[in-house]
Amino acid sequence: MTPVIMHVDMNAFFASVEQQANTSLRGKPIAVIGSAQRTVVTTASYEARKFGVKTGMNKAEAKRACPPLIFVIGDNRKYMDTSVCMLEILKSFSPKVEAYSIDEAFVDITGCSSAFGPPSVIAASVKARIRAEIGSLLTCSVGIAPNKLLAKLASDMKKPDGLVIIGEEDVPSLLEGLPVGELWGIGPRLTAQLNAMGIATCGELGRAPASILRERFGIIGERLKDMGQGIYGSVVVPIGQEEEAKSVGHSMTLPADVADRAAIRKYILKLSEMVGARAREHNLKGRKVCLTVRYPDFYTFSRQKTLAEPTNDTRAIYAWVLGILEAIRLRTAVRLLGVSISDMVKSSLQIPLFEEDRARERLLSAMDAVNRSFGGSTITWATLLEEDPWEERSGVISPSWRPEGVKRVNVK
Amino acid sequence: MKLGEPVKVVAVFDKGLKPAKFKWRGRVYGIKDITYTWASRDGSAKILHFSVSDGSSLYELAYNQSTLKWSLEEVLP
Repeated sequence: MTPVIMHVDMNAFFASVEQQANTSLRGKPIAVIGSAQRTVVTTASYEARKFGVKTGMNKAEAKRACPPLIFVIGDNRKYMDTSVCMLEILKSFSPKVEAYSIDEAFVDITGCSSAFGPPSVIAASVKARIRAEIGSLLTCSVGIAPNKLLAKLASDMKKPDGLVIIGEEDVPSLLEGLPVGELWGIGPRLTAQLNAMGIATCGELGRAPASILRERFGIIGERLKDMGQGIYGSVVVPIGQEEEAKSVGHSMTLPADVADRAAIRKYILKLSEMVGARAREHNLKGRKVCLTVRYPDFYTFSRQKTLAEPTNDTRAIYAWVLGILEAIRLRTAVRLLGVSISDMVKSSLQIPLFEEDRARERLLSAMDAVNRSFGGSTITWATLLEEDPWEERSGVISPSWRPEGVKRVNVK
Repeated sequence: MKLGEPVKVVAVFDKGLKPAKFKWRGRVYGIKDITYTWASRDGSAKILHFSVSDGSSLYELAYNQSTLKWSLEEVLP
């Protein structure tokens, strides 16, 4: 049976939620932003997009493009819950739902026609239920095709509120003249490299000799050729069945550039606590710790250290990352800091040999239990109490957010 | 305007929880429209949020399912 994959992409998601909640924003150009001083536009309403307001613009750029623009500070809790509601609706059509991001999902609807009708009827039902159960202003673009690559391409073809179905018979003619950069996974850099090789369209990519692509791009060369022909092997991975996390990390753009090492250490402690708590929640430890630093000119670098023993202990992560920091001669103030652990292993149930280590484990376990019950940083490190760098801050939610699991999440 | 003030609420349980009116600072506000609802967590407590309108302003009410208390979180003109 030919697979039938549906890609659902919520239109201007955060902005639509805000316009749904606040009637005075409806029909107006709005941009959802974070609450930090140096925030950027995360989503613009379609009214604002007409003026050229785009995701990633800073407030001044956005206001220049659209003087009547209204800025709305985003509320991540609202978007996360709405995303979960959207996924619940999709799960009522098929158990195979993959949350690709907070506002996008893939659904494998192969064999669902007998229960719910043909794919076009399923898509219409999904749209109707989202409008009825979440909000009348929440629309989505739906793409239906034999694989995820083509389904994503289809949903991008008509926005907002579109429905595009790509049948197997349509694929060669559709891809022949399509620029390679339109394909999911082929970004501007790869596009430029392909263009430099004389490959501008998917048709040309599909006909390019595999040996040349392999020589230029390594193991992904053959996959690129397949993509040019509309062939894509990756299946829908249902929620809860994702691969084990390869790393757990958090990063933060600081409210202002920071040169003071004591202040930097404080941010690193907070990031280490967030990483440690999340790794412990999922019973994971990392063998490598990594510090990421970004300068104001956006030059970004990471340094990592391999540990003798894997850890998820906040203080151990903090100590190792501080060791990395001390070995770096910072050339300017710092714009962004990130801490992560990788090379993950499942925590063993082995009881530590020394009483000091056992006491430390009990302390972390007690802290985690209190914070789980009472929320956030009910118990945290005294150093962070004076001025919590996260207080009163609504970070920009990462596109990699998932409703459950321990995927890498960055708070920028 | 962010508030987080306790309020008294008259609510209807009908296919979920629906606030009908609330009393804040001695004045009663009739809810004409529930424009959006969502849920969040504060530790183990589930909080239900309601964006509501009395016809002139927008309010965010929150109901803590653990403490069974209502609060007025925000008022937008």
